[in-house]
Amino acid sequence: MTEYDVINTRAPRLDAPDKATGRAKYIDDLRMPGMLFGALLQSPLPHAKILNIDISEAKRLPGVKSVVTAEDAGSIRYGVSPARYDETMFCKEKVRYVGDEIAAVAAVDLETALKAVSLIKVDYAELPAVFTPEEAMAEGAPVIHEDYPRNLCAEVHQEFGDVEAAFKECDLIRTDTFKNKRQDGAFLEPNGCVADYNHLGYLTLHTSTQVPHYVQRTVAMVMGLPVGKVRVIKPYVGGGFGPKAAANPMELAACLLSMKTGKPVKMNYDRDQVFLFSRGRHQFIHILTTGVKKDGTLMALKNECYLEGGAYASFGIATVYYAGSLLGGPYKLPNMKYDGYRVYTNRPACGAQRGHGGVAARAAWEQQLDVIAEELGMDPIELRLKNMMSAGDVTCNDLNMSSLGMKECIEAVRDGSGWHEKRGKIPKGKGIGMACGFFVSGAGYPIYRSDTYHSTVTVKLSEDGGTVHVYTGSAEIGQGSDTTMAMIAAEALGVPLDHVSISSGDTEFGVDLGAYSSRQTLMTGHATKMAAESVKAQVLEVLSGALDVPKEEMDIKKGRIVFKRGTPDFEPIRTRYIKEHRGWKDQPAGDDLTFREAARIAYLAKGTIVGTGKYRPGELGGKFKGAAVGTSPAYGCSAQVVQVSVDMETGKVTVDRMTDAHDCGFAINRTSVEAQMEGSLSMGLGEAMFEEVKFDDRGRILNANLGEYKIPTALDMPPIDAIIVESNEPNGPFGAKEVGEGAIMPTIPAILNAVYNATGVRIWELPLTPERVYMALKKKKNGA
Amino acid sequence: MKRLIRLNVNDKIYEIAVEPNRTLADVIREEIGLTGTKKGCEVGECGTCTVILDGKTVNSCLVLAVQADGKTILTIEGLETDQGLHPIQQSFVEKGAVQCGFCTSGMILSAKSLLDQNPDADEKEIRSAISGNLCRCTGYQKIVEAIASVKDRGPIS
Amino acid sequence: MLLPHFEFHEPTTVSEACEIMGRLREKARPIAGGTDLIVNMKKNLIRPDHVVSLAKIDDLKGIVRENGLLEIGACVTAAEIAGSDAVEKKFAALAQGARVLGSPLIRNLATISGNVVSARPAADLPPPLMAYGARAVLMKTSGERSVDLNDFFKAPGKTVMDPDEILTRIVIEAPQGHYGDSYVKLGLRQTFEISLVNVAAFISLDGSDGPISKARVILGSVGPTPIRSQSAEDVLGGQMPSEPLFARAGEAAAGDAQPIDDFRGSAEYRRDMVAVLTRRALNMALKRAGSR
Repeated sequence: MTEYDVINTRAPRLDAPDKATGRAKYIDDLRMPGMLFGALLQSPLPHAKILNIDISEAKRLPGVKSVVTAEDAGSIRYGVSPARYDETMFCKEKVRYVGDEIAAVAAVDLETALKAVSLIKVDYAELPAVFTPEEAMAEGAPVIHEDYPRNLCAEVHQEFGDVEAAFKECDLIRTDTFKNKRQDGAFLEPNGCVADYNHLGYLTLHTSTQVPHYVQRTVAMVMGLPVGKVRVIKPYVGGGFGPKAAANPMELAACLLSMKTGKPVKMNYDRDQVFLFSRGRHQFIHILTTGVKKDGTLMALKNECYLEGGAYASFGIATVYYAGSLLGGPYKLPNMKYDGYRVYTNRPACGAQRGHGGVAARAAWEQQLDVIAEELGMDPIELRLKNMMSAGDVTCNDLNMSSLGMKECIEAVRDGSGWHEKRGKIPKGKGIGMACGFFVSGAGYPIYRSDTYHSTVTVKLSEDGGTVHVYTGSAEIGQGSDTTMAMIAAEALGVPLDHVSISSGDTEFGVDLGAYSSRQTLMTGHATKMAAESVKAQVLEVLSGALDVPKEEMDIKKGRIVFKRGTPDFEPIRTRYIKEHRGWKDQPAGDDLTFREAARIAYLAKGTIVGTGKYRPGELGGKFKGAAVGTSPAYGCSAQVVQVSVDMETGKVTVDRMTDAHDCGFAINRTSVEAQMEGSLSMGLGEAMFEEVKFDDRGRILNANLGEYKIPTALDMPPIDAIIVESNEPNGPFGAKEVGEGAIMPTIPAILNAVYNATGVRIWELPLTPERVYMALKKKKNGA
Repeated sequence: MKRLIRLNVNDKIYEIAVEPNRTLADVIREEIGLTGTKKGCEVGECGTCTVILDGKTVNSCLVLAVQADGKTILTIEGLETDQGLHPIQQSFVEKGAVQCGFCTSGMILSAKSLLDQNPDADEKEIRSAISGNLCRCTGYQKIVEAIASVKDRGPIS
Repeated sequence: MLLPHFEFHEPTTVSEACEIMGRLREKARPIAGGTDLIVNMKKNLIRPDHVVSLAKIDDLKGIVRENGLLEIGACVTAAEIAGSDAVEKKFAALAQGARVLGSPLIRNLATISGNVVSARPAADLPPPLMAYGARAVLMKTSGERSVDLNDFFKAPGKTVMDPDEILTRIVIEAPQGHYGDSYVKLGLRQTFEISLVNVAAFISLDGSDGPISKARVILGSVGPTPIRSQSAEDVLGGQMPSEPLFARAGEAAAGDAQPIDDFRGSAEYRRDMVAVLTRRALNMALKRAGSR
């Protein structure tokens, strides 16, 4: 095994000191001279025709600088997938959900802007609304988008193998219906932005986003500007988890207002507007039929799924594909049929949230597999191990498990949790359960079909050789990507981490698709590694000429030049370096030639040393319709064991302990890998136990706040044992792959399976509120 | 009508004329310019705006600035000294307790308030003390570890 | 989120505060901890023209125990109640309520008067206070009156208080002899919760192992106001304490509850939980009685 100096350590994150001292700047901390404040007018009705918009009174209010509506914004459609560009900046003909944007105001201060918004008069003709997939797909239901009859935003029909034929060979076939609830990202930093259009015609948008690149493209398209005249800069971001992975109407409105007024315009969502914009997890209804042989061999899966999508497509097309494709593994499953329907409703649009599309499907199936194991009289772990794929296996839907430490993960959590000592031996009311899951390490294709590079990175040396500057458009949103990239650059170049300075999250630093689909470590990591290696090669090239030593006989390690066949006389280089720094106190000394000296010599020979790197996955996946969704250069995977206590009288579930093992290929930063696992588990626990966005019968959110939309507190989280498994992914930089999302996959089903183990009751609907568990217990007790 | 108030923030006196409807969080951020105090919900449900007011942790979004007149306030910016990071800050950095960082200011101040009163706090006490500070990134694991490990570092200034 | 504009008053005496409230009446709202008022103002649910701070009035602070009475000033916070030895020793149910109110940050601001006056059906302090038969002392320029908290609440957000009245303190007569008290709460999370159901119980025994001489059972979050369960008290009165008796009292309490279906939970679940929580609260109260 290769020895590394920087990666695979527990290096403290580079951004931690600034964040721990309050120095780190987030979007709401940004102030600019002459800045105006913007506010949005949003629809109070779920579905209505707009008859008239009167902005005259708002415009007359002193301090108001601009009031814009669809008249000013035009009707350029945008969205996430070009196949479903169904949004406009402002509604023109009608509103489709409570929160749909109608107008925006820029004023000298927020109070004036809000007052002006309240002075805009809109006449509506209310239309009948639909809120559930059943209502929306019903015969004669009101249509939300004219082009989509029955409100079908997207449907998928796929079959791999022959499911019906396979069922004929099965000894046991089970059908179960599972339902989760619509969930919110609940990141702690509300979205915000500052748009700044200058006299030269350049538009700079500072925004709390996961994807500067996609926001840049959307802004350029909607504003009618060349991409090169739009710059998107991401300050520190207080969490994203998916809902910040596309441009939002506030960003577009701020850009328009800045272009109209020639001033910087700042806008923020209040917490309730974060809920209104939503783009969180869909509600999924999965009807799963699984067939197995007596010995536990998995034969076939039929998956029928309905997604309540809200008023716009957002990521929905990808989501509906993921809800099918991500059940292709990690088990050997020769036959799979999928029918998925993503349905428009008059509610806020759902989008991508951690574990995109796969979380509910995984929860449903992993619970069903537990039921099957029990019916076959097998240990759930035994059933899973029996069917588990190994590295190199390809799923029936053409996903290539180029590395797969799934078996190692299962063994790690089995042994780490004391599974065999506890299972079946703990008292009633206490339970232990397990589950598995896997996830992509980056989507194989960009959201817009294109041959674009997924990442380009530039590494530049300072002229004294002392600092390695890494420039990337990738997005640090809390997950630790900046530190990861700095560590990769340091390792690849052969310098200590404190030599590296990273600048990220700016579209002028290169193309990077951003922080979604767990892609940055693998994809940006590849480009970073390549750029750093290029710089290294350039420095060694110059050094080779200066010392007359072949390049191949030199290396850079820990900031020093390593000569494989004995150190040559480098005195002339040292003398020259010292001459270049007359009067300096920290001149190089000692027996080793330092990287600093070598880099200075390279600079003197070639000017600024710049290396670039790029990454684009090769051809991936199958040729069938929708094959692009689910393909990835690599797949991370995880197994989890959860222990719970259930109060049998109230139904209240307490999670006592979680043991998680995740195969991240190779851990660039061990602390950050664990941190991603722990964060995934808490989000999964919240979704399993508490989280649900609730609506009244007029399409208004009842709990658009963090008091009533409940995410776990420190007292709800048990101690977590996070175990890192490394499988050395051949397609990853240094063998690394994802950890950001895969770890959430087993959490919900592991909790469901543990609750069954504790109570003897199977629950097929989330969240596991005390009431839901209690009612299930009561039903069982009453013999229903 | 504006009122003149006097705040001792991080050992510095500020005399500021404020409208009665401004919250302490807004005045700290906008008038004093200390933006380490965050606004995540503005109604006391997330803890990102935590400050220590006359020795007690509070949601500064729920305090009127005029109510804080004459009081002493510690914000996250007040912890770092000439000697560097406060031991709790150092522990958060080293243990990987910081991810997106938006809860971090409030979390550290709640931890400080706890450890000032109870330097040997156990895991349950730590979890209770930070239970008004939501974190969506960490699962609290490394935060709890960071706070628990501070006591091994000797006295807290 | 912006607060509406208002004029701010900061009286330093109760009489000054009463004078201001008497003059401004409905136009003014007193503010103590602010955790309820400021949230409601930010959400634009109320827009008072005047806000009258009670924080600078020394007479409204402090917990005093003398002459068999516990007097808690209007501005005493939940954290102060939770940390008070005087409360912990004799009024454990109140201490329990204070310990589970909101979050540690909220408890440092929220006051007993705010938790009572806001009259939220799920509030954590009224049920234990009612279980002790606590009284609210109300003051206005024309004089002072004292109201039993069992007669204080009218509807969600509504009380018997006049617009010009200020709640100055809560007074509880310290129970004597072998009594036990407790407060239990059920929510989704382990903390930071609005109760789905809460129950406060008080029993006093005739002798250390004698029958129940007096019982109080208060149900929260299952009606427009906290409810005193007369049926449960009738079941308990004069009986020897036992698990089956407490279960019967729980069933009786469930009958008195008036829960509704709302987005937090169903009426059926709440009613069933009243029975469970009442039994548990009584068990805990009995345990405390035994140790006194």
